[in-house]
Formats: sequence, structure tokens, C-alpha cells
Amino acid sequence: MSKFLKLTAFMVLAILLLAACNGGGNDNNDSANDSANDPETTEESFGDGEIELVFWEFGNTGYDVLIEEYVAQNPHISINLQNADMNDVHDNLFTSISAGSGAPDIAMVEEAQIERYRNAEDAFHNLFDLGAADVEDNFLDWVFQNGGNADGTFQFGLPTDIGPTVMFYRTDVFEEAGFDSSPEAVNELVNTWEDYEAVAREIYEETGKLMTDAGELVFNARRDQATQQYFNEDDELIIDDHPQIREAYDYVANLFDEGLVGDIPLWTPEWFAGMEEGTYATMLAPAWMQGQIKDNSPEEGIWSITTMPEGAGNWGGSYLTVPSESEHAEEAYNFIEWLTAPEQQLEAFLNYGLFPSSPQVYDMPEFMDYEDEYFGGIATAQVFSEAAQSVIPVYKGRLYYPVDEELKEAIDNMSAGSDPDEEWDAAVSRIERILQR
Amino acid sequence: MKKTKKNNRLTDKKRTAVAAYLFISPFFILFAIFGLFPMLFSFYLSFFRWDGLDPMTFNGLNNFRFIFSDPIFYSSIKNTFLIGLLGTLPQILVSMVIAFALNSTLIRFRNVFRTLIFLPYITSIVAVAIIFGLVFNNQPFGFANYILSLFDVGPIRWGAEYWPVKFAIATMVFWRWVGYNTIIFLAGMQSIPRELYEAAKIDGATIMQQLRLITLPMLKPIVMFVVFTATIGSLQLFTEPLIFLGRGFREEGITVVAYLWRDAFVYNTFGTASAAAIVLFVIIISLTALNLGISSLIGRTKKSKVS
Repeated sequence: MSKFLKLTAFMVLAILLLAACNGGGNDNNDSANDSANDPETTEESFGDGEIELVFWEFGNTGYDVLIEEYVAQNPHISINLQNADMNDVHDNLFTSISAGSGAPDIAMVEEAQIERYRNAEDAFHNLFDLGAADVEDNFLDWVFQNGGNADGTFQFGLPTDIGPTVMFYRTDVFEEAGFDSSPEAVNELVNTWEDYEAVAREIYEETGKLMTDAGELVFNARRDQATQQYFNEDDELIIDDHPQIREAYDYVANLFDEGLVGDIPLWTPEWFAGMEEGTYATMLAPAWMQGQIKDNSPEEGIWSITTMPEGAGNWGGSYLTVPSESEHAEEAYNFIEWLTAPEQQLEAFLNYGLFPSSPQVYDMPEFMDYEDEYFGGIATAQVFSEAAQSVIPVYKGRLYYPVDEELKEAIDNMSAGSDPDEEWDAAVSRIERILQR
Repeated sequence: MKKTKKNNRLTDKKRTAVAAYLFISPFFILFAIFGLFPMLFSFYLSFFRWDGLDPMTFNGLNNFRFIFSDPIFYSSIKNTFLIGLLGTLPQILVSMVIAFALNSTLIRFRNVFRTLIFLPYITSIVAVAIIFGLVFNNQPFGFANYILSLFDVGPIRWGAEYWPVKFAIATMVFWRWVGYNTIIFLAGMQSIPRELYEAAKIDGATIMQQLRLITLPMLKPIVMFVVFTATIGSLQLFTEPLIFLGRGFREEGITVVAYLWRDAFVYNTFGTASAAAIVLFVIIISLTALNLGISSLIGRTKKSKVS
């Protein structure tokens, strides 16, 4: 008996320890990107209606609150909400549509991942058949179009949120370096990428602090501003044919070389922890990153927001799709139409900072008057909506993420001092081999 | 009369046979669905180009031609063996020593230690990989780098450099499996009769001599088993590099299974993934044959010694 007790005690101890580790390190999922670190799936059911809709989502959407509202209004519907890691949701969706069974009634698909499913029009309901044409005007044109096929006859999904990119910055570091830290002043100070580099140098000289701790984010910021990225519309690799991506890459190489940016990998515990430490000045990131910053650096008035040098890009955001396996396509569509309607998008923004894909929200008084005490009481919504409206849509291609991954490896290597040109060539040849498969 | 009786007995026999097959059928049915069919299907797939959604197109031997011309595929094979060696060899030696210690009557709280040493095995690989990811952090403030800095070494980029990547992954494998193998060895040691040790002690043998001359030879079959499973296990290494390095892996740390998984589920090229799986299959088969050959050779020499 005592042996059994001891064993039980150890098991309990071990489980507690593991749970503690897990909970502390990795509850920081976000709406548009995530590491492969969190394999957990949570499942929650709402309502007790006869028609059950299974809904796969990822990230912190806060949709549970909205779903409760919906099932209260529509008692014949119940919704089973399953949340998992972003990559897992997409892999599982891919596997189930490839196998022809197991897909949910509603699947959330990330903006760049939607490319993976473009060849599979028969695996999804064409939302135009279900009435999507009527709500088309609710959304920003480029966002809506990206959720459809090239000639605009097939609509995979309705857009939920988007990720207009801005510059988050730490007022304390800017002040320490002797700058005015108001959003207007910083915007003027860091108006171009040249300014960004010059300011980085000055901050480093004055305070010894870095401009940002993740050079990768500088690359992403410039990548998302590019009008052409990795592929053209015929899915041919074009990173060597137009200068924008290479410029972004060389720009980061130069910052590494001067020691002005750090090389902390994104989504790691040390990266999250760095948000509070005040060892760097800026973070170039999409709107949905504000949740991460708030969670990790709770003190108000330290972080602020201004527009990105040389205009915004878009990183992330999602669509809600209805796989054709769904037997309740109509109900599923009605639900996603409701969920992506301007009123609900406003609520999702106010609750979880999901930035609306509907420009009608941008004119709503609650949205315009929304001032975020956390960011020094500025009207953050306006900064973001300005960014959102200036975004130029860009074609991403089916192998967007694998290509991005190889370039990130090159960036990681050159942060450790290897030659940027050699790393670029190595990455391009790795990418070419991926394309040959 | 006699005849019918005999017939009855035969049908009885048959009936038991049917019942027996029925009893073992769940395994075979499940194996056929989840083991055999996917296996055969990937043989078939390895001759096709398939992105998982569009119809398959016949590709002849091009998938094999491609992976054999891909330097990263060779790296993945090399990595698998290097990490396997780094992870399993020390592990077998260490777990044998620990098992011997736990088996000896000199240690107090043996049950406590037995449980403790086995605990890593029941932890989730993902949790292990995340924690080791913190230990083997690229940054100077990572735990391993901090320890090294006390000796004026480093910082080492554990997630990117050739040997450090392998060392870090091998350490995870070591940590997780050493307890499992210890328990296997311990079970083997407990089946060795006490009298042998007592006789040895009376003859004045030291602990090292006991280990070398009694424990090791008597453990031979257990050692074979552990080497077998460890070899196959390390050839299938996947989760640790995935969590430690992320979905892109890196040439420095990609294993064969990681390579084929990435082809299938990141690049969605199921043809080359299946071709890589076939190559892995051939490697595992030949290694197992080699293992069997060696063990039967050892068995034979032992027999000839006895006679």
C-alpha cells in the first residue's frame, strides 16, 4: 500500500510539474501565427439545438462570447468550438479534405495558408452560392478578393480579421535616448527605413539598447510592404527577379552587421519576456500583436503605436470557410455571415483586438472613439485603420510558408555572422529544390 | 460411430481455431487498416506525384531520383545515425550502471529511485522538447550557455550549429529513454540468481568484477533487445527535432522521418515523402537483419564455448 501511495504521489507531482511548465511557457497563442509548441486542443459546446455545427479555430479569438450570443438567438443551432494550434488546424483540415472525411462544418483558415487549398475548390462550398455576394461590400476589397479564386467566381471564405502592420515602440527607451515620444513625433522621426536605421544608431549610442530584438520582424515588415513577394500569379519563384525581397533581406543584414537589432526567435519564451524588459525600442508588428504585448508587459503607458515607416503591410488575418462535407452548409454560412458582420467584428475588436476586415466598422463611433489607455490613451483604432486602408494586396502562393521558412533560416544564420550573399544563395537553392519536388 | 466422433472432434478443433483467430483478430484488423494498408499505399505512392488534393500522376522513378540527388536527404540519413549513436550508446551504458546500482542491496529507498528514474519516460515528448529548448537556447542567457560561460566557453548556438544541434537532440533522447532501459535491465538483472553474486563475493570479487563477469554475460539477451529497440527507435526520431527546431527543421538537425514528414505535410509532395519512407524502410530492414545476424553469431559462439 505504501508503495502504491508513493508511486501515486510521484505521479501527481510529475503531472503538476509538467502542467506548471506547460501553463507558464505557452499560453500565448495569437490569432495569426504560432509556433508548433502547443499541441493541445480544447473543445467547448454551446447551445443544445438540433443542428450541431463543428467549428475549428486557432488563436485567441474570443469567439466563445459571440457564439453564446448566437446560439441564444438561434435555439435550433448548437456549436461545437474546437481550438487548436494554427499549424495543426491547417494540417488537419488538409488531411481531412484530402481523405474526403473528417472536415468540420466551419474551418478557420489563415490568410497565407488559404493558398494551400486553392486547388481544392470542390472541397469547399462556394460561398457565392450561399449568399456571399450580398455581404461582399461589408469587407475591404482586397481582403475579400484574397478569399476567392483568381477570376472572382469562387469564394472560399469570409474574412474575419486582418493584420495591418504598425510600429509599436517603447516610450521609455525613446525618451531615454532624448527623443520626443509622442506618436506624431516618432512618426516624423522614423518616416523612412533610412530614418529607422539612423534612429537605431542614435538609440544605440545614447542608451546601448537595440532598435528591436528580433531582426526577423524587420524583414517581415518590409516583406509585407512589398508589392511582389515570393511568387508571381503563375506560381513562379520571383525573389531573384524583383528587388523588394532582396532589399528587405539586405537591409536586415546590414542592421545585424551594425549590431543594431537582436536575433531572438519569435514566439519563444525569451522573446515574450523581452517585451517587458525594455532592452529594445521598437517592434514592427501587425495589429493582432497588441494582445501579446499587453499580456507580457502589463504596465500601461510604456508601449505606444505609430505608423510603420514607408507605409503599412498586412500580416495575417483569417477566413471562415465551409468545407463541402458539411451537411448543414446553409446554417454554417448563416453563422459565419453573422460572425463576420460589422457589429460582431466591432465586438471582437473591442474584446480581443482582432482588427476588423470591414471598413464599415472604421466609421462606427465606438471604434473611432476607442482610446487605449494601455497605449497612452491614443486612438489606436485609427492608427490601425489608416494602415489597413493603405495595404496593397499581394499574391502569396501555395508554398509561401516553406519559402518564408528557408529565408528565415538564412536570416538566422547571418545573425550569427555568416555571409549574407552566401546565405541568400543557399536559401534560394533550397527553395528551388522544394519547388522541384 | 467412430468416424462421426472423429469428425466432431475435428469440427471442435476447427471451432477452437476459429475462436482463437477471432480473439486475435482485433489486432490484425487494426493492423491491416492502420499499418499494412498505409505501408502498401506508400509503396504505390512513391511512384506518383501527388499534392494531396489533385489527382495523382505517374512519375516513374523520378521521386527516388530526386531524393537521391538531394543533399539534404543524405544529411538527414547522416543526422539520424549520428544522433542515434550519440543518444543510445551512452544511454545503454549508463542505464546498465544505474540498473546495477538499483539492483544492489546497498542502496536505500530503492523503490523511490526506481520510480524516479522511470518518470522521464512517462512525460510528454513535447514538454521534454520545450524544456530542453530552454536549456539549449541559442542566446547567451540559455541555461547550457550560462553554465559554459562559467568556464569561459561559448555562447554556442545550440539550435543551429552542426554538432551542438545533434548533441542537444541526443540529450533529449538520452534523458527520456535512460529510465526505460534501466527498468528493462533491472528486470533482466533480477532474473540472475543471487547465488552467483554470493559465490563471487565469497571468492572475493569486487563490484566491477561482478558487473563484468556475472551481470554482463547473463544480460546478453536483454542487451540485444535494448539495442534492437533503441536502434529502431532512433531511426524513427521525429518529435524532438520538430519541437526543438520547428517545422522548417534545418539541415543540421533534420532526421529521415522529419524529412519525409516535411515533404508530406509542409510541402505536400506525398510522392517524394513516400519514396523517402521506402528508403527508410530498406535501411531499417537491413539494420534489423544485421542485428539478427550479429546476435545469432553471438549465440553460436556462446553455445560452442559451452560444449
